[in-house]
Amino acid sequence: MEQYYAITIGRQLGSGGKFIGEQLSQRLNIPCYDKELIQLASQESGLEKTIFERVDEKDSYSFMGKYFGFRSGFMGYSESNYLCNETLFQIQSDVIRKIAERESAIFVGRCADYILREHPRCLKVFILSDPEERIARIMSDMKLSHADAATFISRIDKKRASYYNYYSQKVWGMATSYDFCFNASKAGFDSIVAMIEGYVRAKYMSAD
Amino acid sequence: MEYTNTPNNLGTENVGKLLMRYGIPAIIAMTAASLYNITDSIFIGQGVGHLALSGLAITFPFMNLGAAFGALVGVGASTLLSIRMGQKDYETANNILGNVLVLNLIMGIAFSVVALIFLNPVLLFFGASEQTLPYAQEYMLVILSGNVISHMYFGLNALIRSAGKPREAMMITIYSVIINSILTPVFIFIFHLGIMGAAFATILSQVIVLCRQLHLFNDKDCFIRWKKGIYRLRKNIVTGSFSIGMAPFLMNAAGCLIVILINRQLLKEGGDLAVGAYGIVNRIGFLFVMIVIGLNQGMQPIVGYNFGARQYDRVIMALKKSIFFATVIMLAGFIIVELFPRMVASIFTGQDDLIGIAAPGLRWVFAFFPLIGFQMVVSAYFQSIGKAGRSIILSMTRQVVFLIPILLILPNYLGITGVWVSMTISDFASVILAFILLAMELKKNKQDYNI
Repeated sequence: MEQYYAITIGRQLGSGGKFIGEQLSQRLNIPCYDKELIQLASQESGLEKTIFERVDEKDSYSFMGKYFGFRSGFMGYSESNYLCNETLFQIQSDVIRKIAERESAIFVGRCADYILREHPRCLKVFILSDPEERIARIMSDMKLSHADAATFISRIDKKRASYYNYYSQKVWGMATSYDFCFNASKAGFDSIVAMIEGYVRAKYMSAD
Repeated sequence: MEYTNTPNNLGTENVGKLLMRYGIPAIIAMTAASLYNITDSIFIGQGVGHLALSGLAITFPFMNLGAAFGALVGVGASTLLSIRMGQKDYETANNILGNVLVLNLIMGIAFSVVALIFLNPVLLFFGASEQTLPYAQEYMLVILSGNVISHMYFGLNALIRSAGKPREAMMITIYSVIINSILTPVFIFIFHLGIMGAAFATILSQVIVLCRQLHLFNDKDCFIRWKKGIYRLRKNIVTGSFSIGMAPFLMNAAGCLIVILINRQLLKEGGDLAVGAYGIVNRIGFLFVMIVIGLNQGMQPIVGYNFGARQYDRVIMALKKSIFFATVIMLAGFIIVELFPRMVASIFTGQDDLIGIAAPGLRWVFAFFPLIGFQMVVSAYFQSIGKAGRSIILSMTRQVVFLIPILLILPNYLGITGVWVSMTISDFASVILAFILLAMELKKNKQDYNI
């Protein structure tokens, strides 16, 4: 792990976190993993992609699960229950760790900052953005009305927070969990990318 | 943990062999747990008397309730621990261990205090009579005084399993069964402690294995162990455990409710002997049910993995084989009980009247057991493929939704027989429901998989 570095990007929906990851990927010439992690977890385990998509960055998926704790079925979690959320998280986190061991990479979401917490050269970034700007981006990306985009954003962010808090035992978006937090509305993508790139080049690449 | 040799051979190895490998340890653990209950009942029935057996049956709901509170902490905490162990986050894992200890201390003592204060009214509500109350009281006084030990024992065993030592956890259960079945006859037949002797033996055997558990977490090589600073309760861990443990808590609490209802109806229709008869029927029924639960635990990873990997033929093969074995197990129970009901009942008591009530009870309750194996496997199947909701519906309908109304109505017309028959009817109805749900599921899967 020593010779490689990792950048993890936590992000609010519509804040452009993924875009920043892709930009950094080009500039630093290292891969950026977002949805690709699902495909890789599927290959690694032999389980269907849809199984991972169903639980990807979501909290438990039903009313029952949310309010009565039927999160992992009523018998609780067991290592032998392959389709329970906890096992799928375990498989995906093994994939993230394996990638981080073999190459420098950028990871978007999926608790990567927690999973790679022991990584000696891991930069943990969180991207946020002003609500109106996020709504505008989601409206154009997904062809939604203003009101629908706003509800969609708050729903997805709630799920991401619940997923993150459950698996990392930390608080999603809380500054203490990260090294850098950027408001994309204030800083702008170009300067955020430049700042991170500059930091990474100075800190992780100067010795090479 | 199973991670090391899986998931790959789950998708390739012979399904029957896999079922043996995963099922047999689980079956051993489950059988050990129910043998524990059976030996206690046998020694009490034979050594203390038939009314003591009724007194013991009155305390069953208390046991369910204790288990419910145990599960509230234990199941949730062991889930959280498994996640942390998988992430090699030993610091948080250690905090979970410390929090579990403290939570179990608090809950164990609180439960004892509340239950001891209201012991008499609660036992009377549970269906005790003037004759059986002293036995139930005597037994519960000891059990409740040692409740914190039982809580600790079950809670730590769940953690030991999650900490990657399932064999150790299984051996601890087996030890406690062996020690208990040695101590119980000694206390009852040699020291003449009566039903209290059985309770002493239970607590003492738990004290002994608890020492072993405490010692396990003392090991310097162990990733999680006792140390300073892990005992402060943390909000994340407490709320996390409770929210996961709520479902198993409710399941156990529902079980508690049903047993109270059964005992009260039996007391009303047939007096203390009928309650004692349920004590026998319950223990025997439980034995076979637990074996199938063990089998189901063995089936879970095979069905779960192959369903996820879209190896549909292997899913169906595992399902078919599990249904076959479950049916064989339940059929064996059915044949023994239906052919020799008096002989089975006489293992627990020499009292002829009690045998006379228990024997037809056994026959009625076991009437649909050959099909209940199927029902239980289907319920576990739904859980394995990630449809916990349907699995809960299936177990709840059998134990609660179908049973309660029939149990309230039928005994008014049929007396004691009405109580037994209500279990038979709800069993039958739940088998039909399982059949319908499974048929729908398989049809849907066939379309999804284009077979």
